[in-house]
Amino acid sequence: MILSYPPLLWRLLGSLLSWGLLLIPSMASAAPLPSADTLVRDAFEYWRGSASTARLTMTIHRLSWKRTVSIDAWTQGESESLFVIRAPAKDRGNGTLKKGRGMWIYNPKVNRVIKLPPSMMSQSWQGSDFSNNDLAKTDSLIHDYTHTLKHHTTHGGHTIYTIKSTPHPDAAVIWGQIILKIRDDHILLAETFFDEALEPVKEMVASDIRSVSGKSFPMVWKMVQVESPDRYTRMVYETLAFSQGLPSHIFTRANLISSGR
Amino acid sequence: MYRELAWRNIWRNPRRTLVILTAVVIGIWSIIFLRALTRGMESEMLASGIKNLTGHIQIQQPRYVDDPVVDYSMDAGYPPMDVIAPLLPLGSAWAGRVRVGAVAANARHSGGITLVGIDPLREASVSFIGGAITGGHFFGGSDGNSVLVGRALLEKYETILGRKLILMSQDIHGEIVSRAFRITGIFDSDMESVEKMYLFIPLEAAQSMLGLGKRLSEISILLTDTGHEVSVVGRITPLLDDSRLAITTWQDRLPILAAYLNLSGSFIYIWYGVVFIAMGFGIVNTTLMAIFERMREFGLIRALGVSPGGIIGGVILESFFLLLLGLLVGNLFGMATVFLVAIHGIDLSALSAGTEMWGMPRIITPMLRCMDLFIANAVILILGLGVSLYPAIKAARITPVEALRYT
Amino acid sequence: MNIDIALAWRNIWRNSRRTVLTVSAIAFAASILVFMLSFQLGTYGTMIDASVSMRTGHVQIQAAGYLADQEIQLAFSWDDATRRAVLDGDPRVVATTPRAHGFALIASDKRTYGGMVTGVDPVREKSVSTLAAIVRRGRYFERSDGALVGEILARNLDVDVGDELTLLGQGRDGSVAATVVRVDGVFASGIDMYDRNVVLLPLPFFQDLFSMDGGVHEVAIRARSLGDVALLKRDLNRRFSALAGGGPPPVVLDWMDLTPGLLQSIQMDLVSGLIMYLILIIVVAFSILNTFVMAIFERTREFGMMMAIGISPGRLMRLVLTESFFMTATGLLLGIIFGVGVTLWFERYGILIPGSDEIMKAYGISGRLYPKLSLLSVLAGPCAVLVITLLAAFFPALKIRTMTPVEAMRHV
Repeated sequence: MILSYPPLLWRLLGSLLSWGLLLIPSMASAAPLPSADTLVRDAFEYWRGSASTARLTMTIHRLSWKRTVSIDAWTQGESESLFVIRAPAKDRGNGTLKKGRGMWIYNPKVNRVIKLPPSMMSQSWQGSDFSNNDLAKTDSLIHDYTHTLKHHTTHGGHTIYTIKSTPHPDAAVIWGQIILKIRDDHILLAETFFDEALEPVKEMVASDIRSVSGKSFPMVWKMVQVESPDRYTRMVYETLAFSQGLPSHIFTRANLISSGR
Repeated sequence: MYRELAWRNIWRNPRRTLVILTAVVIGIWSIIFLRALTRGMESEMLASGIKNLTGHIQIQQPRYVDDPVVDYSMDAGYPPMDVIAPLLPLGSAWAGRVRVGAVAANARHSGGITLVGIDPLREASVSFIGGAITGGHFFGGSDGNSVLVGRALLEKYETILGRKLILMSQDIHGEIVSRAFRITGIFDSDMESVEKMYLFIPLEAAQSMLGLGKRLSEISILLTDTGHEVSVVGRITPLLDDSRLAITTWQDRLPILAAYLNLSGSFIYIWYGVVFIAMGFGIVNTTLMAIFERMREFGLIRALGVSPGGIIGGVILESFFLLLLGLLVGNLFGMATVFLVAIHGIDLSALSAGTEMWGMPRIITPMLRCMDLFIANAVILILGLGVSLYPAIKAARITPVEALRYT
Repeated sequence: MNIDIALAWRNIWRNSRRTVLTVSAIAFAASILVFMLSFQLGTYGTMIDASVSMRTGHVQIQAAGYLADQEIQLAFSWDDATRRAVLDGDPRVVATTPRAHGFALIASDKRTYGGMVTGVDPVREKSVSTLAAIVRRGRYFERSDGALVGEILARNLDVDVGDELTLLGQGRDGSVAATVVRVDGVFASGIDMYDRNVVLLPLPFFQDLFSMDGGVHEVAIRARSLGDVALLKRDLNRRFSALAGGGPPPVVLDWMDLTPGLLQSIQMDLVSGLIMYLILIIVVAFSILNTFVMAIFERTREFGMMMAIGISPGRLMRLVLTESFFMTATGLLLGIIFGVGVTLWFERYGILIPGSDEIMKAYGISGRLYPKLSLLSVLAGPCAVLVITLLAAFFPALKIRTMTPVEAMRHV
């Protein structure tokens, strides 16, 4: 029964989180045209940096209700992340630790860490449009896709590249294609996810680009369901800081518990 | 001479004979047809139940029976099939599988399924999947990342042949693993639930994905016919360590089906009885009439020195011919009906939710077995002769004096 | 006319042995039909009752769309005021119970499974479903935060009465629903799907845990009888449409919407049953046809004489048909009396069909099956027998019209 739970979970998001967290402006050379691979890799490095600490507000919009959650987030490298809910008070302390391919969740009320079984990986994360799986696979864009540059335009003094990313035939990704819009300063402006029939399923748009820790970064991310535009999740960074590295104890189950208390 | 006499006697009043023949014909016809229908349905239910990954016999790790997870797979190389296989009756087939719960996902949908890793060559002769492919193809040589999906699942996931499905499960170390598979074949089943539940991938792909090495979840054995399971289990059990393996038969795994087949089998005999009684009244009545009409005749025969036994024999012989003729015609009609209906079968698709609930086939094809024909005919013949004893005894009791007095 | 009737009655007893046999054949067919039809209808009633009282209720009120999507947001508010407004004073509503469902991780010390958590009103639930009766170990909701766990799930989680379970899911507002509950009891419905997936909690506790804000997903209603379902469904739908409120009104579903397979399997069984009964009646008709034929041909001379003294062939025909009718009616009467007697006996004591326990278990029916006598089951079969028998009698009787007195009297 649980297993036939509706698909909405998958839908919105994708890389929301992976996007948020970047670092190190890479010096894109002013050479002729950069390769698509370089553009994507640089953009990815730019978002993620080697480590980040952030507080963000996530709002889930539905036809009849909406919900706002305030989250503390730590990320490091490609596969370590920790998210802890700070507000609303009722959900305060609920945390999710992702390390490698495994995911653990912690709830302060029951004071227990539970490892997610596979059947739950496609379920919604904290009621958002992110599925647990989306959180667990943030680096997929780099490893699982072949990128080609479609075209580029100039807008407001920046060159914007449109890149088509096609998954490797054997890659364990559900998308048939992803279209990326990347600005010449490595900022990812938009990402559209297509199914295998190349119909768009969901779209993520970044906006409100500001300077953070000395580099430009979009503060607002919005993921919309293409077929039902009134279902979306919006993430806004309240604070964001990039660093070269975080202490390794952050990404442990003990810390999952202690930061939830 | 008795035979000839009896034969001619039943045609002395052809109309009466024809009427009673009709009753016998319809009776035996209905029995044959109904038996063929229920037989067809039972054998289809049994076959689909057994071919639905059950097999006549299954060998599993004892804890897997109640809790089919990857942790409870059998040790590699145990049971030793090279020792067990020669003990199976000729024509039996067996296949090893990996079967675990998993999640299948694509861009449009995700949900729980049962992932079955199969050895294509062996599986084709054990379960339904070998013959159920209606689109694409069954596993060939280089289909390491192929998946076979049911038609209903395909629709649910809004996908088509050639597209990908991502399968996710937990490996033997408790880690979550996911892998992309390409849909290379579509299978159909009478049960929508089967189409939605099972996904098939090659055995090696399942074993490597789940980190199983050469381990299996289960071994399924298909015998040539039902009925020998218990003796076969008896033969192989002593060779195996029962703390490491549980051996079950289809009756253990499909108790509802087994009970239903029992019930259906006994119900048909009740129906034989009911139809027979309805016919029996007609036979007795008609024979009695014939006897009272021929009172004088019987008196005469008695006066000529024929024993009462002889008269009983004569009357019984008349009934025998009557029954034989009725059975003959009834059988012909019955078989003709069965063959005609069998061409297309009886289509119950309109009630598919009902058939699914009981695990019945959507199309029922009647099926005749020699044994069923024989039993039906024997039952009617023996009981028919039995009830003819009553008029026969009446006839034998007629004394010449009484008979002459009778008008 | 009265003379004819008396004559017909006497005629049929001229050959009493034959008449007894014919009447017995008809009585046999009639009693079999009365019993079998009652048995079939009774079984359906039992199956429906079992299915209905296992979970669904006769009728359910659900939020629009919940049946298809089962999303936790698709809830509607259900309080005493709504209940009074919609259901109070309706004599067809015997009992109601609200329920709510959510999905959650269900974890014991050793294992974690995804499953369904259902909130039920411990007191009201008892009057609608058999839940309290299928608790096999432990107690039915002892604590206000105790849980009932399906037997297979309990086995898979390796927990028993008194052990702790952690539930972690997502509330109606998307918030985290987390708690630790103690297992009060273990239930076994016989339906594996249910026993493998479900944890039951007291409704107030569930509503608090899943932030339901007083909302429920379904209200199961036990109706006075199956016959009330159709009208009750229509009336309730009207009442909900009349209750103006925000959003689409809840929908009212009956057991056929909730368990379509059950209705179809009943239809299937009924049709196959009817075909068999028809065959039986035809066999009986041919079995007794000879009696009717003989009643005429044996007496051709007699008829010739009667015609000679001025009795019309039409009247003779009526006489013969009256005889047939008497025989049939006597048979049917005896058959109905016997059939009803047997049926009543079994209605009281039940029938235990060996080997059928497992099948019935699949429907949550345990033990015996009970036939159910009704006007329909008593009359339908015998009426069919009457029609077909009279038809059988009619054809030989037609012969009388072609008789001439002279020929007839010459008949041996």
